[in-house]
Amino acid sequence: MTLTLPIVKKGLNKGLLTTLELAKVIVPTAMVIKVLEASGALDVLAGWFAPFMGWLGLPGEAALVLFSGYFINLYAAIGSMTAMDLPMEAMIILAVMLGICHTLIIELAVSKKAGCPVSYILPLRLGLSLFVGVVLGGIIG
Amino acid sequence: MIEALWQGLINGLQGVWTLARIVIPLMVVLEIFKANAWLDKANGIIAPPFRKIGLSQEGAFPVVVATVFGLTFGSGVILANIREGRLSQQEIRISGTFMAICHALIEDTLLFAVLGVPLWILVFPRFVLAVVASYVVYRGTELFRFWRQTKSEKQRSSGRLSA
Repeated sequence: MTLTLPIVKKGLNKGLLTTLELAKVIVPTAMVIKVLEASGALDVLAGWFAPFMGWLGLPGEAALVLFSGYFINLYAAIGSMTAMDLPMEAMIILAVMLGICHTLIIELAVSKKAGCPVSYILPLRLGLSLFVGVVLGGIIG
Repeated sequence: MIEALWQGLINGLQGVWTLARIVIPLMVVLEIFKANAWLDKANGIIAPPFRKIGLSQEGAFPVVVATVFGLTFGSGVILANIREGRLSQQEIRISGTFMAICHALIEDTLLFAVLGVPLWILVFPRFVLAVVASYVVYRGTELFRFWRQTKSEKQRSSGRLSA
């Protein structure tokens, strides 16, 4: 086994860079959510999405968590989750749904380069994510 | 409004701190894995069960890399593997299906686990769905190939009859 200082340093470096990346996404997302909450806009948005989120066993505001995870990344989703006070059941449903489908803009590009078209991967991931959401929502939501 | 911004800042920084304690050690461990090429060495042991979903040893490797390192972190290895051209079109589709559903299983899982979500419920559905979807793709492409083959054979034999 080779374990040298440069290897550990490289790992630390990557970790710190990822943390910076986390901070750049999580902090602004959490602030936006808090402002939406304070201004009452979150309740309005939650009201619009409540019927659809109900199928997934989720409260209306969880739609914002799903959107930020699907389109931005998991860090953004976690940022909005930390700013909301979601029950554990909702956190579990969201975590499983987002585990399957997230960071679509970047990851669809990677999948495409790896030989699988967007027209195949997008419906696959989004479909499975929603399927799991409906199933889990039915069980614990 | 200032109060809300401040509250968001605090919540956000708390979240970053929680995740940093996971992400930084994880990256060090992954880097050690990479430097020792542990996955390349372990591939001989990990790969055999993947034959059930139609992946050869070469085909299983990008899947294993993606599962441990993630799509972006592992993309260098994954794309190099595809570019080398040792994978059939069918294997590319199977491994692509698996990777799209199940990747960065360590990082993604730990991120949610620190929020209090149980570990197994993060790992189990993703892994099982990836296996099932890949198996469907494997069987599906196999059936399609068989159908095309018999069709062309029929055409050939009917052509012979008319001649």
